[in-house]
Amino acid sequence: MKREEFLQELMEILELEDSKIDIKTNIKDLDEFDSLSLLSIIAFIDEKFGKVFTSDQLASITTVESLMELIGFEHFE
Amino acid sequence: MNEDETALDLAFKASEKVFQYYDRKNIDFLLLCTQSPDYYMPTSACILQDKLELRTDIGALDFNLGCSGYIYGLALSKGLISSKIAKNILLITSETYSKHIYPKDRSNRTIFGDGAAATIIEKSKENGIFEFSLGTNGKGYKNLIVLNGGLKYRYDPNAEEIKDNSGNIRTNNNLYMNGPEIFNFTIEAVPKVVKDVLGKNRTTIDELDYIIFHQVNKYILEYLRKITKIPKEKFCINLLHTGNTVSSTIPIAIKDCLINNKIRKENKILILGFGIGYSWGATIIKI
Repeated sequence: MKREEFLQELMEILELEDSKIDIKTNIKDLDEFDSLSLLSIIAFIDEKFGKVFTSDQLASITTVESLMELIGFEHFE
Repeated sequence: MNEDETALDLAFKASEKVFQYYDRKNIDFLLLCTQSPDYYMPTSACILQDKLELRTDIGALDFNLGCSGYIYGLALSKGLISSKIAKNILLITSETYSKHIYPKDRSNRTIFGDGAAATIIEKSKENGIFEFSLGTNGKGYKNLIVLNGGLKYRYDPNAEEIKDNSGNIRTNNNLYMNGPEIFNFTIEAVPKVVKDVLGKNRTTIDELDYIIFHQVNKYILEYLRKITKIPKEKFCINLLHTGNTVSSTIPIAIKDCLINNKIRKENKILILGFGIGYSWGATIIKI
């Protein structure tokens, strides 16, 4: 997946309207982040990458980059 | 419901409603699914037998399951009837999770609702409950749990408040749910059990009239629908008035779908429950 596309998809599933994000954005600091956001991220990773992570692994996510690292940088162009 | 009402009271009310249309003297077995008993012992089902003025020559028991409970209740009922132990079963699901949830736990408060449902399952010439697919994996038991209050960890009047990442507060005396882990379990288990129950019944989604999953929450249901490839018009989402009533979401949804003409007599529907335990199950019924 292209990095740009990934950012775009993330903005959609996190329902970000005004706030722009880049790979250095801390996802959990966003006003829009709540317990449902995490479920959206799980569904997104399951659907697009076929991967499942434990709640501890998901709890360690900070920035968009750290999420990409968890999924595996090899999945991104 | 008011504060003092328990799952046993809700079970009583739901059953009395059913008995407006059904002679209680016929009931020869009572099954009550609850995780909110009035007492450790005796079992609520025995107390209900008396309160409901049912016959005394009947069987009655509680079983402790959550969101999969209705499916297991039907499986037990089918077993009791086909083995000729019973003919007319009263199956009740009743839950008051609100009593398990800490007042400051906003997240769980918005998800769960209290509720009860009563169903009569009768011996009939034509089969109306088909093959089951059931599953259990105790590995996930800690992800949806009330830790204290049983005999391993006693209720602790001084239990500390615990704050999670999203600012929800609870104590170990209360319901704890690890949402992400439960969701992981769900997206793994549900597609498999759908496939399995369709296979066991030699049918397909196309041949069925309607599909009712445990009404967990709208977001999760939408995702499950997508990955199990069920058309929107055949898939039930029925949360508006009740929230997640645990073991009662499926019978409440069946009733609501009948009222709204989404399903009618002779329809074949797939019902599927999953959750705490982990425990899951599905079957196909004819309305």
